[in-house]
Amino acid sequence: MFLTKEQQKMLDGEFGHAIAKLTQLIVKIGEVNGATRLIPIKNAQIAGVSYLTVGEPIFTFFNMLSEDNVKVSVPSWLNPAGMDMKKWKEMGIKNDFAEKQRKIIQQYQKMGIQTTLTCTPYLIGHKPKFGDHLAWSESSAVSVANAYYGARTNREGGPSSLASAITGFTADYGLHKKENRVPKIVVAVKATITHFSDFSALGYWYGEKFHGIIPYFKSIKNTNIDQVKMLGAAMAASGSVAHFHIAKHTPEAEKVDLSYISETVTFDENDKKQIYDHFNQIKERVNLVVIGCPHTSLEDVKLIDSSLGDKSIKEGIKFWVFSSQELMQNDKAKKLLTNLEEKGVKIFTDTCMVVSPVVRENYKNIVTNSAKAAFYLTREGTNNVNLLSLSEIIERVSE
Amino acid sequence: MKTIKIRAIVEGTVEGIALVSPIPISFFGGVDAETGIITDSENPLFGESLTDKIFVFPESKGSTVGSYVIYGLSVNNVAPLALIANEAETIVVAGAILANIPFVDKADQDVTVSIKTGDKLVVDTTQNIIILKKE
Repeated sequence: MFLTKEQQKMLDGEFGHAIAKLTQLIVKIGEVNGATRLIPIKNAQIAGVSYLTVGEPIFTFFNMLSEDNVKVSVPSWLNPAGMDMKKWKEMGIKNDFAEKQRKIIQQYQKMGIQTTLTCTPYLIGHKPKFGDHLAWSESSAVSVANAYYGARTNREGGPSSLASAITGFTADYGLHKKENRVPKIVVAVKATITHFSDFSALGYWYGEKFHGIIPYFKSIKNTNIDQVKMLGAAMAASGSVAHFHIAKHTPEAEKVDLSYISETVTFDENDKKQIYDHFNQIKERVNLVVIGCPHTSLEDVKLIDSSLGDKSIKEGIKFWVFSSQELMQNDKAKKLLTNLEEKGVKIFTDTCMVVSPVVRENYKNIVTNSAKAAFYLTREGTNNVNLLSLSEIIERVSE
Repeated sequence: MKTIKIRAIVEGTVEGIALVSPIPISFFGGVDAETGIITDSENPLFGESLTDKIFVFPESKGSTVGSYVIYGLSVNNVAPLALIANEAETIVVAGAILANIPFVDKADQDVTVSIKTGDKLVVDTTQNIIILKKE
């Protein structure tokens, strides 16, 4: 591995023990993956926030970092936590969990990391630029950054994204290199793809079949950011796919080298139906609806409101929407939230159904429009999930 | 005595007894950071402790938080002496670096077959070899 003088000094411990460790971590991950140099990153998005997923071991790591009082050297944002930082009691979070969760956030804050607590930093103004090198770790955000914005990031782990945030570097391998961003499979989309859940089903279907392989989607007519995020999130969840192209829509699609294509597959109505059928598990009554995996945009929330119209959510069913705190700050958004609350829809920020303990623990039968959420909520076998489009959900749970 | 060539990822030379997992290991959810005990009920090593053992496994899987679990093992003084994998992956690389546990991979053979639980081994990263001293 070639290191600049500054990087060598970091590795040799001239800036303290913690910086040396973190630099070593990046260098070794690079060496294992065949990198020959480190490259500067523009920003970092850091996972490993929810107490549910990091547990006690994170605190020993924080102790090591705080001895040297390390700070991030590039703009850095946090992934969702295990609870809404304000309305955690309403979610049913217990006191001891809340206390641990707050401690984790405070530690990250001390390092200069912005406590955005969202998996969609690009929806709150942090849009990557074409060609930017990043160290992002939330798998759906990684996929959106690569595909929709043409930025370059591998799927980092919690520790490696934090190491990159602090040192300002990542190792030059994987999706940082142009030759690794070419598609290998063409997917001809024959099925009708309109609802968010359809994009999600397509992503889930592809990821499950073609683990880790970059696809080139053909004949998808419309794509906006909210649709692309559903597609990418599901593909990353079911198949660790971190990059994709959509003909005529994503920024690399037009010029990307198609000579590595080895196969063309089709996604038809039957394939789509199979995914919906797989997540059609609720035999009794629905307990909870969860929307917002990945976090909703303001447009998503408006759509819920307009789809509901004058109707309200039925007694005995909870309807939770997950979003980012930044989007819910202004007066218009607040008015929308009050409106929705009156109809029985609750908006929580800073967290989601996947990383909060209460969704799986307290609600058995869950409906969602996200195949990624469905995947994680059914993984332990304790919950039943139905995957439906937003309009079908509203039809079913409102009156 | 048998010698196996390896690639060194985290340096160190240690001698100890092998504990071999025949299946991929998830450190997060699969190993208790406070006790060093394997808690994955699907693993034949369920209930065994990897403390002071040379832990051999084919590859790792699961959440990247696994790195913090490996680090926790060393802070709590229940870490393995060394780690040997067929194929290193970033979760364990990051964990072994933070915890400073010798870690090697890419042997010229399947280490989960040629090394048996209870075997006496030397991991030597100065020569990039494992010496199998026999059970």
